[in-house]
Amino acid sequence: MGTDTEIDRDDETACLTEYTELHGCSCKVGQSDLDSLLADAGLTGDSDALLFGIGEDAAARKLTDDLALVSTVDFFTPIVDDPYDFGRIAACNAASDAFATGAVENVACLVVLGLPRELTDSASPILAGMADALDAMDGVIAGGHTIMSPWPFAGGAISATARPDALLTSQGASPGDRLYLTKPLGTQSAMGATRVTDEQFVGTVREAADRPLGRIASEAVGWMTTPNRDAALACREYATAATDITGFGLAGQSRVVAARSDVGIELTHLPVIAGTPALSTLFGYGLTDGESAETSGGLFVSVPPAATDVVESAFDDAGVFYRAIGRVTAGRGVTLDDPTIEEVRR
Amino acid sequence: MPRVDVRGEICPRPALIVRQALSDLDPGETLVVRGDYPPAEENLRRMCTTHGIDVTTAETAGESDEFELELQVTEMASLSEA
Repeated sequence: MGTDTEIDRDDETACLTEYTELHGCSCKVGQSDLDSLLADAGLTGDSDALLFGIGEDAAARKLTDDLALVSTVDFFTPIVDDPYDFGRIAACNAASDAFATGAVENVACLVVLGLPRELTDSASPILAGMADALDAMDGVIAGGHTIMSPWPFAGGAISATARPDALLTSQGASPGDRLYLTKPLGTQSAMGATRVTDEQFVGTVREAADRPLGRIASEAVGWMTTPNRDAALACREYATAATDITGFGLAGQSRVVAARSDVGIELTHLPVIAGTPALSTLFGYGLTDGESAETSGGLFVSVPPAATDVVESAFDDAGVFYRAIGRVTAGRGVTLDDPTIEEVRR
Repeated sequence: MPRVDVRGEICPRPALIVRQALSDLDPGETLVVRGDYPPAEENLRRMCTTHGIDVTTAETAGESDEFELELQVTEMASLSEA
């Protein structure tokens, strides 16, 4: 995993983000629109053939008493200009949905790739980035499908396995549980700043941040290319519920868990990439309200009080970043009342 | 009434363009913003509310993604501190 990713490439590198209006998980269809779409299509009920499916991060089918197959698909538009980094981020983001269910074994990825004709040279480095990321997750690229598309996009259909009793969903959180987040927030603001390159505003953005913008962006890329596999392995035995933080943002994903677990969620502490709150305020992104879209974000895990020590030790042993960010209550919905904002430097 | 057109602009530029236009106004003055990028509307509302700018929705016509907002600078406005 690279922590010193270069953001400012020379001018022979294609600028992937210039080919699309929405970037990374920001291109995700909104939560209410998605709910309406599923309802219109009659796709709201559970399927008897599956352990779980629609409404969760991934679907799970019980193959034997000891083995469940988890499958998911996720692809999005570029959030970075560098095709190799885009491939790594796309692979980590796609696999994250499987890891959020606790499925971390036998990871395979079928690549989903679309590029405009002008960017066909980017296909090779995107695939190389995906392959390297899969390799770091003990996974493989098993095939894929590539099309011509006006907007570039990349990602994959992921399969992975786990014991059926090891699987996690968004439905098991109980009042009293502690909530953990395994990556800081702020990718939308960090990468948005890199897209402001014209003289009219670049100074404004640079002055708003109290750190070099390139440093903020490279840390964001570092987090986005960090697989959630180690985090899932560390906590899946003890967690009651899990999801990963994506385009719906921390508050949006919290609302999903609160609704599906029939509990309330109280968020009190938000770790963020240092420098991103000021950028979010400038851009109106809502980071400190938990509303900013995240790309390839961390796991959001609910842990019973009796297991927090062992989970924190497991995170520490695995070298996984984590912060306790709130708790599960007997109420309803999500509250985020003047949370502490912790600026994290990588 | 001054107007800014951010149609065709992609985030985060609409917020930057509007913020610059607002910084030229005095308390009590209103800026009308027209846009067509769905995420921009929410970001503009949030950016304005954070900085003491009152936001009201003006009547819009045409394509469904288009929006028009009236942004009134209040005595509490603090754009220079962003």
